[in-house]
Amino acid sequence: MAKTRRIFQILFLILFLFLFMANEFEGISDSSLPLTLFLDLDPLLSISVILTSHSFQLKFLYGLITIALALLLGRVFCSWICPLGALNNFASYLKRSFSRTGNRLDRHKGLLSLKYYILFFILVAAILGWNGAGLIDPIPLLVRSLTIGTDPAFYNLVSSSLNSLISLEIPLVSGLSSSFLATLKGNILPHAYPLFRQSLIVGGIFLAILILNLVIPRFWCRYLCPLGALLGLAGSRQSLARIRINEKKCIECGMCNRVCQGEANPYPAIAERECIKCFNCHEVCPSGAIEIYNGKTSMAREDVDIERRWVLASAAGAVAAAAAVGAGVEIGRAHPKRIRPPGALPEPEFLEKCVKCGECMKVCLTNGLQPSLHQAGFAGMWTPILVPSIGYCEYQCNLCSQVCPTGAIRKLSMEEKQSIRIGLAWFDKDRCIPHATGINCGVCEEHCPAPGKAIKFEEEEVTGKYGFDYILKKPYIDQSLCIGCGICENKCVITDRPAVRVTSSNESRGDNQVFL
Amino acid sequence: MDRRRFLQLIAGGAAGTFLARNALSLSLPAEQSASGALLGVVQGTDPGAAAIKAVELLGGMKKFVKPGESVLIKPNISWDRRPEQAATTNPAVVKAVIGMVREAGAEEITVADNTCNNAQNSYRRSGIKETAEAAGARVPYVVENDFEEVNLKGEVLNKWKVYRPALKADRIINLPVAKHHGLSGVSLSMKNMMGLIGGRRNLLHQKLGESIVDLTAYFKPDLIILDAARILIANGPQGSTLDDVEDRNIIAASTDPVRIDAFGISLFGDREPFNREYVSRYLKIAESRGLGSYDYRAKGFKKVKLG
Repeated sequence: MAKTRRIFQILFLILFLFLFMANEFEGISDSSLPLTLFLDLDPLLSISVILTSHSFQLKFLYGLITIALALLLGRVFCSWICPLGALNNFASYLKRSFSRTGNRLDRHKGLLSLKYYILFFILVAAILGWNGAGLIDPIPLLVRSLTIGTDPAFYNLVSSSLNSLISLEIPLVSGLSSSFLATLKGNILPHAYPLFRQSLIVGGIFLAILILNLVIPRFWCRYLCPLGALLGLAGSRQSLARIRINEKKCIECGMCNRVCQGEANPYPAIAERECIKCFNCHEVCPSGAIEIYNGKTSMAREDVDIERRWVLASAAGAVAAAAAVGAGVEIGRAHPKRIRPPGALPEPEFLEKCVKCGECMKVCLTNGLQPSLHQAGFAGMWTPILVPSIGYCEYQCNLCSQVCPTGAIRKLSMEEKQSIRIGLAWFDKDRCIPHATGINCGVCEEHCPAPGKAIKFEEEEVTGKYGFDYILKKPYIDQSLCIGCGICENKCVITDRPAVRVTSSNESRGDNQVFL
Repeated sequence: MDRRRFLQLIAGGAAGTFLARNALSLSLPAEQSASGALLGVVQGTDPGAAAIKAVELLGGMKKFVKPGESVLIKPNISWDRRPEQAATTNPAVVKAVIGMVREAGAEEITVADNTCNNAQNSYRRSGIKETAEAAGARVPYVVENDFEEVNLKGEVLNKWKVYRPALKADRIINLPVAKHHGLSGVSLSMKNMMGLIGGRRNLLHQKLGESIVDLTAYFKPDLIILDAARILIANGPQGSTLDDVEDRNIIAASTDPVRIDAFGISLFGDREPFNREYVSRYLKIAESRGLGSYDYRAKGFKKVKLG
């Protein structure tokens, strides 16, 4: 069973990574792949979004599959399906903890119950309107970490090493590396170098989670993971695949506890909620005393206590946290750089639904969608904002609206997308070359995709200024046409602080900032 | 490729190609006046057939492309727009040119452009990737590794990153689409050369006329075929609504960038906001630098109507 489990684990990890990498579109077509499959299967995300937004979508029912699986078989999701679980599992091998000497025979009871309190914290906060699940739920956490943290590092590593091979200019080596790199791009690597703000923070958290496996194997899964806690609570008593010790055969060697991935420790009494069905114990038991059985026969079990006072404490903490976070959300004025992707719901509803998974940032063609830090308050940390100086919103693209798993960015037709204003461009005439120096430029006008051009020229005849007569074309904004896509800011010749900059003013999704 | 050709390539290498190309570009005008028009203009509703006819007026593709040569075809694929929006070169023209180049015996045909919008989208939506690949050309995306810094030795442009295939190809065929451009008035063959360079191209706008003359002087395209089947008359260079597009049903061909651009401007008439003074200034610069003749009607002008 443990062998079968490992095969499943690897296959699901590969599937996850494949879908992750496939979440980059080449050209026009819509993808028929279920790109957000793992996010869709995550019941904690759905519950959290339902609680905060008081809304329901049919696709939230996918989460029931995972719940049903837990009801039938216990926490199989954790050790058979969860991609972060698999990574933690493999990272644990570095310590060889699941070899003969790693685990303790007893449990870290206090730590084991921590994840349940985290779960309660999240759910209470969700009821009070703060959707914080995405910060710590393993699936969005992993998607976000890979997108923002490891993808840029991976790209940098591969492309810079191949580029240094190419630059050696040894005929065969350079040619092969060059075509190898071209093949990798668009398949395993993104087309262009992904650049993300906060990649060190997000990547660092991910790295820390992996390193914790060297302290205690599957540290994250055992003590912190709220999804594991939810599935444990859902499934422990009904499971059809339970572990028991045949006392007649048991030689009390304790091997089962030493290899136990969830710290459920079958000997002498199993903590059923902690069992993630890795079946390591079944595999290693030297006397064949570990049995997998279906049914409800009672046997020695010893679940970790979920203490009432700590449940109350986490609930109280959630109340305080939600209040504090909520106080920061809407102070009446939007941050100028809080430019949301087209299709983003009005800010309060957006924050209720966004789970910070980063799929929109991953798919963004220009890399312009970036994780926010403070621009949308703490509740909006790591939610997507458009940073035009990094990348603009491509006029003929609605990919972010296609991949959003929770509808925080609603699905848009191309026509509708092109009519949505996400902000407004403003000229800084003291820096704009034609305005400030009298030299023609007009790059912003050239790139403006809005029908009829939101950037127009005011023409002025100049005689002899630079030795000849010419017409100076000074750009200005037609605010009735500007959709805030930011291509003008992105392409502005002045790169340190562009002479045309987009802010969230006049965005069309809410009433707060719309002009007359 | 046989062994002889292989050895030639290695031995002759870049030096041979360079010399051959320069010699040819010097000798072209004389050849042309003997056996073909200097500017061929064809009116016809089938852009592909018109392109073929236009090249015939110059003396046929065999005059420009020799068997075994590598050819870089440079259409305008700058924008993520559909062909009928006239921001990109008509795929039918690209297809016809690839066909002619293949028939002339070219060994390697590449179609590429350094786009402004996302390359994948622009290549696909313009219809050029699909059409050109079906016609047997390589249609690679232009990526950062494809550039090499060279000295353009221009009047305003010196060290600049250039698309390497443009340096290596035996022939460059320029395939612009005629369209409005907010700053320069029009975008024609010389403006189209901007797609062969990388780096901070946006800087060129400050001396746009001089810059595109520099580029044309450097690349010296062996043949230019101007797509004016549909032209964008406002809100260029990317346009948007079909209201900005007019049918002209014209394809022109020349080896002279000044001549063909001067003809191109005439397609737009005196309509505002085209500023002919401004537009024509860069043609005068180009002419004064010996790139060609501004007076396209003076001699070697042939116009044909297809049924």
